[in-house]
Amino acid sequence: MSSTAPQPRNRLPHAAPRIAQAALQRARLSVVPRRRSRAPRMPFVAFVSVILLAGVIGLLLFNTSMQQASFRETALEKQATDLGVQQEALEMDLQDLNNQERVAAAAEKLGMVIPSTPAGVLHLGSGRITGNPTPASGADRLPLRMPGPRKPASLDPKQVTVKSGTADTAANGAPNRDR
Amino acid sequence: MQIGFLIIAMVLSVFAARLVQLQGVDPRSYAQMAAAEGTQDVVLPATRGEIVDRKGRPLAGSVDGRMIVADPKVTSKVAPELATILSDRLGIDYFEALKRLRAEASRFEYIARQVPASKAEKVVDEIREKFKDEKGRPFAGLMTERDPLRVYPSRTVAANLVGFLGTPTNKGAAQPLAGLETSFNRYLSGKDGEARYTVGAGNQIPLGDNTITPAVDGKSLQLTIDSDLQYYAQRVLQKTVVGAGGKSGIAVVVDTRTGEVLALADYPTYDAADPYDYDKDLYKSSALTDVYEPGSVEKVLTMSALIDAGLAYKDQKFKVPGKLYRQDRPIGDYWDHGMLKLTLAGILAKSSNIGTVLAADQFKRGQLRQYLERFGLGARTGVGLGGETKGILPNGSDWTSQVGDRIAFGQSLSVNALQMAAAVNTIANGGVRIDPSLVKGSATTDGGVAVGTDNATSRRVISEKAAHETMLMMERVVDPDAGVAPRAAIPGYRVAGKTGTAQRVGDNGGYDGSTTVSFAGFAPADKPRFTVYVVVHSPRAGSGGGSTAGPAFAELMSYTLRRYGVAPTGAKPNQTPVEW
Repeated sequence: MSSTAPQPRNRLPHAAPRIAQAALQRARLSVVPRRRSRAPRMPFVAFVSVILLAGVIGLLLFNTSMQQASFRETALEKQATDLGVQQEALEMDLQDLNNQERVAAAAEKLGMVIPSTPAGVLHLGSGRITGNPTPASGADRLPLRMPGPRKPASLDPKQVTVKSGTADTAANGAPNRDR
Repeated sequence: MQIGFLIIAMVLSVFAARLVQLQGVDPRSYAQMAAAEGTQDVVLPATRGEIVDRKGRPLAGSVDGRMIVADPKVTSKVAPELATILSDRLGIDYFEALKRLRAEASRFEYIARQVPASKAEKVVDEIREKFKDEKGRPFAGLMTERDPLRVYPSRTVAANLVGFLGTPTNKGAAQPLAGLETSFNRYLSGKDGEARYTVGAGNQIPLGDNTITPAVDGKSLQLTIDSDLQYYAQRVLQKTVVGAGGKSGIAVVVDTRTGEVLALADYPTYDAADPYDYDKDLYKSSALTDVYEPGSVEKVLTMSALIDAGLAYKDQKFKVPGKLYRQDRPIGDYWDHGMLKLTLAGILAKSSNIGTVLAADQFKRGQLRQYLERFGLGARTGVGLGGETKGILPNGSDWTSQVGDRIAFGQSLSVNALQMAAAVNTIANGGVRIDPSLVKGSATTDGGVAVGTDNATSRRVISEKAAHETMLMMERVVDPDAGVAPRAAIPGYRVAGKTGTAQRVGDNGGYDGSTTVSFAGFAPADKPRFTVYVVVHSPRAGSGGGSTAGPAFAELMSYTLRRYGVAPTGAKPNQTPVEW
């Protein structure tokens, strides 16, 4: 559209009257001397520098904080591992304490046995007992441990029993060493 | 001008040649070298799955472990002091430690392996502090490295099934040596992951390269075993075998309705936490790997098959002579008697071989074998343990009429204990055989077979009526007057069972005069919940199934009934006549 606009205007000089010619003369563009305006450069440079500086410092701080977080993460991870290991150790202790053999031995020390006799059933409500409940006795005792592995005779020395009361003691009760 | 171009061309060709060298010849190794600069590869170890019992109690668990390694160049100066501390704290051998701490021309020696991480780190940290060098730097002679540790908190309980892991390879891979640890190794082990990241001063650089392939932990294996019951079964079995002067023994407890094996005890067995002190031959479950002739317990299967086929009934009258002359040699009973007038129930209650053979004469050829096969004899139970035997069920021309006679009362065929327990359980379960299982749910063995309760199948072997009639006959076995095993009775409960005393094949491959005594039964007889099977190999002469295995059965069964809160049904035992 802009390409069609100038065409009538160019043709105008030949057809237009004088007054129009004058107006046309006035309207014609002419070269104007360049106006030299000196915008102050300092604020802009300062502005750019500040942004740059702030950016760099910000990035640095961000990076530092990331590193800090990473240090902290490593430390916390180590702590978590340590605590996990500690928990595992405690769980292992608990399992050892829970071992059937140990519990059975402890119970036997208290005079208990695993009953092998049939139990009765107490019916709640009616209070009736069915079955043939029989109290357990010492005859129910079971070997609580498996016998240990068989060792060759050379590794399994005979037990030496020391008899008491036969030691040769001096008058004050101390063993008589200078025989 | 031209000289200038020439120089530029030459420089560019040098660059091009270098480019070809870098990118064309071996780009990968260079890329790796570049990446290795400042990056760290870490293996993220997969945790091996636990093996737990039916209540979730661990039978095998994984713990973070460490190996302690020494650099003898540094440690040799203070070797005695170090060895003292290490042997005190870790229980390792002082002299061995000393030797290794002083090893010449070596910079890497294993001091201890598979130490729980907490313990190892503590000791090494203390030593680092204690033996600082002149400049105050921590002692650098001892290091720890990851060394996964497997613990067996239940020790001897179910060791025959669980198995154990040997010392891991130097790369940290598990080395299963026995039991379920071996047969489910792949299922349990999982897959190690890998992490690669850039490090600076021991810390991960946040914006650096960072790739992580997470580890896939191994799956846990839940067994149907009840570890408390298993412990009790092992103890009762030990008492029984030792008391009878036997060589070995087996006890099995099966849940009648589901086929779940609640306890499977072997004696002697070993300690999974300390296996190397025991004989290698013990690293197995002989209930699955060893065959034996079941003896009279098998009569139960013969009788139930006869009844199911409509060839006999419990009150059927038989005249049982004192000796039965057949083709090769006379068949006798374990006690001397003249002509007896026994019912079929009486034959079972008194455990008469002659009577059983007379009754079994009714079978058509191959009929008994078909039944025994349906009962699961001659085929693996496939519970998931390796090394299981199929047993021996003679076939074709091997099944001569003499062999057939002997098979009818439980000789000349071989079974494993779990097969036999599952077969007797079929009668308890109303004639439907259900596959025994050791694994709860489903798990895949290394052989690629899915096993477990989810995969257990069942099939009808005999009619419900035949099973019931067999139960009534089995109940007479524990009767104080009529039967041979009154000591297997449990006061207050109805019990059905059968004794077995079989000639045993000795180490020389033939009958050596030793016996296998056993008792299989279920309770409450009129509403069965559990099947228990006790076997003692090679007890002292004169021991019988009723007197040796019977009491063990009663103890084990009454404990199980009490443990699972099974009330007596209140019904009185049946009084089917045994004589006429």
